[in-house]
Amino acid sequence: MSYTTSRVSAMGEALRRTFGRPIEFGLLVASCATMLASLALIALTLWRTLPLEQPQWMRPQALVLAAGAQGEIDLAAVQTSLRRVTIVASADFLARDAALAELAQRKSLSAIGLTDLHPNPLPDAFLVRFVAGVAPEAVEAAVAELRKVKNVESVEYQPELYRRISRLSQLAGRVCWLLAAPLTAALIIGVALAASLWVRVDPDEVQVLNLLGADPSVMQRPYVYAGALSLFVAAALAWWMVAAASAWLEPLIGAAAQDYALRWEPAVLPIWAGALFCVGAALLGALLAWLAAQVAIRR
Amino acid sequence: MRTEPYLSDATVQAPLLSCEAVEKRYGEFRPALMGLDLTIGRGEFVLVQGPAGSGKSVLLRLLAGLEAPSSGAIRIAGEDLARMRPRALRHLRRSIGILPPGDSLLRRRSVVENVALAAWVAESTFEEGMRRARAALELVGLDVERYGGASCQRLASGQRQCVALARALVNRPALLLLDDPLTAFDEATAARIIDVLDQFSTAGVTVVAAVRAGAAGTVSSTVWPSRTRTLRLLDGKLAQ
Repeated sequence: MSYTTSRVSAMGEALRRTFGRPIEFGLLVASCATMLASLALIALTLWRTLPLEQPQWMRPQALVLAAGAQGEIDLAAVQTSLRRVTIVASADFLARDAALAELAQRKSLSAIGLTDLHPNPLPDAFLVRFVAGVAPEAVEAAVAELRKVKNVESVEYQPELYRRISRLSQLAGRVCWLLAAPLTAALIIGVALAASLWVRVDPDEVQVLNLLGADPSVMQRPYVYAGALSLFVAAALAWWMVAAASAWLEPLIGAAAQDYALRWEPAVLPIWAGALFCVGAALLGALLAWLAAQVAIRR
Repeated sequence: MRTEPYLSDATVQAPLLSCEAVEKRYGEFRPALMGLDLTIGRGEFVLVQGPAGSGKSVLLRLLAGLEAPSSGAIRIAGEDLARMRPRALRHLRRSIGILPPGDSLLRRRSVVENVALAAWVAESTFEEGMRRARAALELVGLDVERYGGASCQRLASGQRQCVALARALVNRPALLLLDDPLTAFDEATAARIIDVLDQFSTAGVTVVAAVRAGAAGTVSSTVWPSRTRTLRLLDGKLAQ
C-alpha cells in the first residue's frame, strides 16, 4: 500500500490538520463540547423524568361522603358504583372511626373537645381520584355523576383549584416544548456548523488529487479521520461537563423532586454511556466530514 | 491493492490518441471546440498553437478525461473515454502527465512532497515516491538540496512551473499533456525543458503541448524539436 493511500498516513494527515492550529482547535472543541453537553443534559433530564407523571397533589380528587351510619348501607356497593363512573381512577374507603382517630391526634382539635364527641358524628367517606390529565369540564361532569350514586350524601370538590392547576400545567408544558425544540435544533445546527469549520475541505487539494487520478476514498480519508477525531475529543469534554454539572445539581434537584413528589431517578452516569456518547459523536464527525469532502469532490 | 488494467490487448496497436468529431459546448455560448478530428501516434511531439480562447486548454482537459465532450468520441489507445468507468478513468489519469494552466501546486506542502504526491497516488511507496520526485526535480533543473524541503509558496513562478512539470514527469507517463509549459521560463530554461521533453518523446512518450500563438513571452518556434507536428486551433476548429 502506498504512502497516501494507507490509513496510517491518512491518520497522520488528520492529526496534522487537527492539532496543527491549536488555538483554533481549542476554541472549536470548547464551543462544540458546550453544545454537545447541553444536548446531553436535555436528553439525560428527559430520560430521568419520562414518562412524565403528574404528582398526586396535581391530580383531581373528590371526597364522597356516604349517607347514614355504618352498617345501615352497603359500603362495598357504594364503592363499586363510584368506581364505575367514567374517568374515576380509584375510590378508597375512609372509615369514620379511623377519621375520628386521626382527628384525635390533632392537638388543636382536642383542645376544643371535638375528639370527645360520642357517638362518632363523622360519616363514612370515599376518596375518589380521577384519571390524570383530563379536562376540568370532564371532572366536573364526573362529580355530578358521583352525586347521583345511591347512598351518597354529598361530594366535596373544588373545581376552581383544579382548573387553575390544569391551566398552569398546560402552560408550563407548552413553554417547555417551545423552548426545548428550538434550543435542541439550534444546538444540533451549532454542532454541525462547528464540525464543518474544522473539516474544511481544501478545494485546491481535491482538484490536484483528482487531476493526479486519486480515488475519492483516498481524498476523503484524512477529512473523515479529522472529523471523527475532533468530535470525539469534543464529546469527551462534553461528557466531563455533564458529569460535573450532574454532580453539582443532583442534591438540589433530588431534594426539590422529593418536596414536590416528582419522579426523579438518582443515577450515576455509567461509563458505557459515556463511551457510547463519544463513539456516536465521532461517527457524526466522520459523517459530516465525509459529506463535506463528497461535495468538494463532486464540485 | 488490485490495479485494474485500463487498456485491453486488442487496443495496443491503435493510435495512442484520437478525436472523432469532438464538440464541446458550455451552455448557450459558442462551442469551445467544433468538429475536431485528430489522430496522434505514439512518441509524437505535437504542438497545439492558437490565440487565447481558441480551445487549447479545453482540448487538453478533454484528452485528460477531466471533462467529457458534448458530442463525438475521444479514444486513448482505442478505448473510448466516455465508456470508461470512473475508476478506470482515474487509473488512466495516473499514467498521463498533466500540466494544467497555472501550476496547481499545494502551497503548504514542500516541493518534493508536491512531486511525490503523483507517485504516491499511483501506488508508489513513500521512499520510492520521494526518490522518483528527487530524480524528476533534477531532470527539470531544480536544485533539490536547496529547494526540495521548501514550501511551494516561497518559490518564484518559474520554479513553481518546474515543480509542476516534474510532477507531470514523475510517473514516467505514456502521454504528456502540457498547457502553456514555457510561459514562466526564460529562453535558456525553456530550451532545457524542451530538450527534456524531446528526450521523453524520443523514448516513446507522446507529448501534446498547447502554446499561445503570438503571446508575449512565448518562446519562438525555432527552439521546438524539428520533428514537432504543429496544429493550429482557431475559434475551436483546427485550421487547415
